[in-house]
Order: sequence, then structure tokens, then C-alpha cells
Amino acid sequence: MKKTQKTHWTAVGAKTSVAILVTAALLMLALSAVQSYYARKEIRANLERNTELDLVIKAQKIKYSLDAVEAALQNHIDDIEQSLPYPDSLFSVTRRIVEQNPDFDGCCIAMIPDYYPEKGRLFQPCSYRDGDTIDTYLYDVEKYDYTQIAYFYFAVNNDTAYWSEPYLDPDDSSTTLVTYNFPVHDPSGRVVALLGVDLDAAWLGDILNSHGLFPSSYNLLLSGKGRLICGPNPAEVKHQDVKDMVAMINDSTLKRSLSHTGKSTILAFIDKEDGEQGHVFYNSPKLIAPWQIVTVNYDEEVFAPLIQTRRRNIVLTLIGLLILAFIIHRSAQSIYRLRDANAEKQRMDNEMMIAKNIQMNMLPETYPPFPDRNDLDIYGSLVPAKMVGGDLYDFFIRDEKLYFCIGDVSGKSVPAALVMAVTHSLFLSISSHESHPARIMQGINESLCRGNESNMFVTFFIGVLDLPTGLMRYCNAGHNPPLIIKGDLVEPLPAKANLSMGVIDEYDYMMQQIYVEPETMIVLYTDGLTEAKNLDHKQFGLEKTLKVLKGCHDATATQLVQTLTKKVDAYVGEAEPSDDLTLLAIRYTPKEESWTLSRSITLDNDVSQVTELNQFVQSVTEELQLEKALSRRIKLAVEEVVVNIMNYAYVADVKGQVKVEAMANDERLRFILTDSGRAFDPTAVSRADTTLTLEDRPIGGLGILLVRNLMDSINYERIDGQNILRIEKKI
Amino acid sequence: MNTTIIEKDGKYIVTLEGELDTAHALEFEEAMKPLHDVTEKEIIIECTELEYIASSGLRILLGLLKSAKARGNKVVLKNLNDEIKDVFKMTGFIDLFVIE
Repeated sequence: MKKTQKTHWTAVGAKTSVAILVTAALLMLALSAVQSYYARKEIRANLERNTELDLVIKAQKIKYSLDAVEAALQNHIDDIEQSLPYPDSLFSVTRRIVEQNPDFDGCCIAMIPDYYPEKGRLFQPCSYRDGDTIDTYLYDVEKYDYTQIAYFYFAVNNDTAYWSEPYLDPDDSSTTLVTYNFPVHDPSGRVVALLGVDLDAAWLGDILNSHGLFPSSYNLLLSGKGRLICGPNPAEVKHQDVKDMVAMINDSTLKRSLSHTGKSTILAFIDKEDGEQGHVFYNSPKLIAPWQIVTVNYDEEVFAPLIQTRRRNIVLTLIGLLILAFIIHRSAQSIYRLRDANAEKQRMDNEMMIAKNIQMNMLPETYPPFPDRNDLDIYGSLVPAKMVGGDLYDFFIRDEKLYFCIGDVSGKSVPAALVMAVTHSLFLSISSHESHPARIMQGINESLCRGNESNMFVTFFIGVLDLPTGLMRYCNAGHNPPLIIKGDLVEPLPAKANLSMGVIDEYDYMMQQIYVEPETMIVLYTDGLTEAKNLDHKQFGLEKTLKVLKGCHDATATQLVQTLTKKVDAYVGEAEPSDDLTLLAIRYTPKEESWTLSRSITLDNDVSQVTELNQFVQSVTEELQLEKALSRRIKLAVEEVVVNIMNYAYVADVKGQVKVEAMANDERLRFILTDSGRAFDPTAVSRADTTLTLEDRPIGGLGILLVRNLMDSINYERIDGQNILRIEKKI
Repeated sequence: MNTTIIEKDGKYIVTLEGELDTAHALEFEEAMKPLHDVTEKEIIIECTELEYIASSGLRILLGLLKSAKARGNKVVLKNLNDEIKDVFKMTGFIDLFVIE
């Protein structure tokens, strides 16, 4: 049962823990996503700024490079202009130009048509590199009419230098060339030729891609018409093919509208082959107009720090969750421990409550306890200070004797309650066959001393009140002497203190006795009464007790106990009760009986006298006109007790007598048997066990058993050297 | 108080009459003594006329029962009156004896 409950609890706990963890994880993820979003935005903004700057710087670099080309050509222009009158010298001029500029692939001088009539309509001397050598020749104008090239007249008419659209080297298709066209003037200032210098665009590409923002980033240079002038070394392009990139840029409709605003246009793309995402920035700075410069960045690299941060975040989140799980686990454990401790306390409380009930059930519960009797008024009460206490009281009547006791075990709570229970059961078991209070006390004491490792002790008072005679024998073991109320007089019972029980096993307890006069009230109490403390730690005390009791001479036992309890409660007030409060009040109220029949016979202690006895009993029952069966029962009982006395009261062969008195009224028939033999208490004989087998049954012990069964009561007293035995039957 | 013992068909039939009080116990014990010597017999104690029995009488019956058991005899009590039966009940003898 308990285990199932625990498992159930653990399952609930696990569910709660998981819920907390999942919530925490979701929160962290959300946080991380928000963080990522803003970080991404920030990175993106940075990228745009950096790229813009990069594009400007690169445009400048290109411009410087071009300016350098122009500057180089400027020197040769003078040379050409001076050589104009000698067309054939122009060949060597071109050769020199190529020789002096290692970056030039070649150059040619395209004369306007019909400038040298002797050379035909068109004249174009050229020098081109072929490996390490330079070929100088006249361009085959028949095959290729340079005036048909779009920019030719444009440059001539406008007198402006002009960069051609890129084109593939007719001799080497892997090389892209651009041509720089520079106007040449005659002395009159008229444009008479264009000096064209072919440059390998790869040269510009190298300048453009000397460094990138990111390892895979690269730059492209596009002509005004969107043709690729130069780009990175193809071996260094990791992802999308440059051609595709150019095509994509040219496809972009945005290009048309935004390419001249001075601000970059940004296009997102996804690589066709590997799905890599990236962004293209392109711009057409005035510096190099109409050329466009392009930067390609890959997100993987752009956002690498973010991805790294995110990875770090995930790791940190996981560690955080683990720590959280650990904390939850630990706190769950401590919660379980707390809960277990609570459950344990609850269980202890329940058990204490059960123990209290058990303890209370040991005590007399019903009042009046002897509703059929009119010679006793008894009331007792025990209020434990804790759940269970070490006080006890009890009383019972056996063979017309009232056995009563009150006690207080040293200490409190469970240990005291255990000793109390043991003491109580010892009291009951010993007094079931022993009527002598000192011997009862000795019996209990011996048992308590045995193995009393914890040195608990018990103060105890035992009284045995013989109800027919009022003779009270008592024995005190260190307990407060009971108080005796006789009329207005309240005084402690003179009781020798003796030693508390549980201390010395061989202690010789002294018995005392008094005759209790009719209407006397005996009040027994524990020190919970006199030592009850109020908030000022002052004790209720004996004096106050006596004062209260003085006003109680007419009170019943119940009233007395309740009055005393109320007074103590009022005195203690809000103070914590320090000790159990136990009270037992006994008023002895014997009634004088009147008899309508009174007869007696004295017999010798000889069993042959039983015949006379039986005749005597028969005459009594006949006079009372009892039924035959009842008469026989009474006759048997009387015979048994008398024979018992004859057999046991006198030592063998000692002559003695037994006096048998019979007295009766309408209610009862009583026999009193008196003898002067040695003290012999037949009521103290332990009861014969009627369940034993034939082999185990002793021959004796049957007589007293029969008497107890046949009569209503039996009572023994030893008074003035005589055994007095009373047996009584309601008739 | 009268005690008669007759042997019939290999059984002993004891007839008790009157009141078996303590005064007559000794006499009864004497009368029963021969039965302590028999072996493997059925002893029937006829109690129709027995009016009263004290514990001294019960003790003699218990003694007889113990010796009978040791010698393989069987003791049967017959026709106990109600009061005597009560006495047997009070003492637990009702469980020891065969009572018919």
C-alpha cells in the first residue's frame, strides 16, 4: 500500500519535473530565437555597411589601375602624334608600347578612314604578344572593319577615351579582353585615330579579388551592358558558377531601377548545386561608370558567428537544463523527504492517538462502575498532559473487596506509558489471587525491577477495602498519601511512604490498615494535582487542595472529582499542563442489613460432621421455602467451604471448630463461617483450570471453584485471629 | 448413600443412590476400590438415584477415571440429574467423562 503510494507520488513528481524542464527549455529556445533574430539583423546591417565600403574601396582600386593605364598611354600619345606624318613608323610605336607595358596584351592604332590615302581606306598597325615575343603587323582590315565597332565613331566624334565591352580573345577563348580606346589628335586638334590597348581583364580581376570580406566572397566587374569583365580566379569560386551569377544579376529587374542610385542593390540567391544561400551586392559607382562592381557573400560565412553563438547557446542551454534538472531532482527529493517526514509524523500522531485510546481503555470507563451496589460511590479521572501519560488508576471488586490503586510513573510520554501499562497489568494479574496489598506491591515491584535498565520508577498506592467490614488494608510505595474526608475533617491517610517501585527488588513493603467508617470519602491523586503550575510557575499545592475538599463533604465522588478538576484548570489557566492529572474518589457507604432469619451451628473439624451441616443447611433452606435445585446448590456450596476449612485451617489432628451462621432476609441468604485455625484464605487459591485434560487435572481445587459458581459472592477476612468467610446468594 | 456394584455380561454396573456428600466420601471410595483392579472392562455408573454429589465425590470419580484409563477400562456415567450435570459442567468434568 505504502509502496504504491510512493510510486504514485514519484510519478506525479516526475511529471511535474518534466513539465518544468520542458517549459524552461521552450523559454530558453524562444529567448535564443529572439536573440538570433536581432543578432541576424545586426549582422546583416553590418554586412551592408562593410560591403558598401568594400565596394567603394574596390571601385577606387579599379579606378587607380585604369588611371595608371591612361597615364601610361598618355606618354605614348605624344609619340604617336609626332609619328603621324610617317605611317610606317606607327608600327614601331605600337611595338614600343607593348614592350614598355607588360600588362598590355597588345595595342593598335586605328586611323579614321581615308587618313592615309596611300594606305587604303582603313589603316591599323598592331603589336600583340604571342608568348614571349611580340608580333607587329598590319591588321587585316579586309577581314575586320574596326569602324563597324559601336564605340569607334562614338569615341572619335566625342573625342573621349573609351573602355570597350569585354570580349573573348579571338586567339585564346579562355581570356577575356577589354580594350581601352584613346583618341589621337593631329596638330590641328582633330581626332584622327584611336589608340586601342587590349588588356587581359584577369588583371583587374586579381586587383578586385585581392581580398574578400569572407573566405568564399568574391567580386565581379561587369560592363555597362552587364557582361562579365573580370571575376575571381575560377579555381577560387567555391559555389555557384560565376556565369550563373552574372545571368542572375542581369535577370534581376531591380538592376535597372536601382543600379545608379549610388546604393548597392542586394539580391538573395540559393546556389543551384549545393543549396547554399547567399547575397549579391552590386553597385555602379560613378568612378568607374558604366562598369558595375559586384560582391557575392555566402550566408554560411556571413552568419558564421551567429551560428557559432547559437551552437554555444544550445550547449549552454543544455547545461542549464541539466543543472535545472539536477536542482529539481534535489528539491523533489527534499520535498519527498519532507513529505515522508510529515507522513511519518502523521503516522506517529495516529499511533499515539491509538496508544492513548489503548491506555484510556485500560482505565475504568463506565460510571457508576457498580450500579448494583449501594455501598460504594466511585469516580475517577485521568487527564494526560501529553498524548499518552505515565499516570494510572484502577479499581475492581473481587470477593467483596474493593481493590484500588493509583500510580505515577517517572518521566512522561511513551516510556512512561509503557511502564504504566506493565504496572497496570501486573496489578491486575497479581491482585486476581492476592488480597494483601503489600504482597501485591512486592509482586509488582519484583517484576518491575527485573530488567529495569532505564531506571524508571513508579510511585504507587494500593488499597484493599473489605466491603463487609470496612477494613481497609493499604500499602504505599512513595506516592502521595490519599486524603480522607470525614465530615468537615480532611486529612491525609497516615501512610508510610516506603520506596517507589522499580528501585530495589527485595524491598520489604509495609502494609497498613484502618477501618473506614461509613460515609468516609477517600481521595487519591497524583502530583499532577498539587504540582499543577499556573503561568507564574506557582504550584496548586496541597493547602488549596485541602481547602477545596473541605467544601466537598456532601459532594458525590463525581462532583468532587469534577470540582477539583475545574479548580485546577482555572488555576493553571493558559499555562501548558506539566503533568498528568489523575483523581480517584471513593466513598464507602455500607448499609446496615436486617435479617429475618438468623441461625447458627458449631461443628468440629471432622468431615463426618458434614451430615449435621447438611441437615442444618437443609433446615434453613426449607424454612426459606427455596426450590429444591437452589437448596441443593446452596447446600453444596456450604459443604464445600466448610470441608475446605476442616481440611486446611487446622493442622492435622488438631481439634478445632467451625462456626456456621446463617442469616437471611427477603433478598439474600448469607453464611458466615468462622474458625480459629491458621490463616487460610480460600479466595486466594488460584482458580482450577477446567480445560485441562484428564492426565493434567489435579485432584484438588474443585471445591472453591464450585463455591464461586454456585454462590453470588464470597469474601474472606482474617480478623482477630479468626478466619471469617462469607458466602452469599440472592434468593 | 448406597453403592452397589454388579458384574453383568462382562460389564460392571455401579448403581449410586442418595447423597454423595463429604461425610460419605470415604465409604464411597472404599466401595469403589475393587474397580481399580479390573482391566479392559466397561464400568457403567448408573446415577438415576444419585441426588447430590460434593467435590469429594467428584474427586473419587476422577481417581477412578484416571486408573481406568491406565488399565484399559471404560467409564460411562448414566442418567445424571440436571443439578449434578451442572456441577459436572462447572468443574469441566463434562468433557472428561463419557456421559449418557
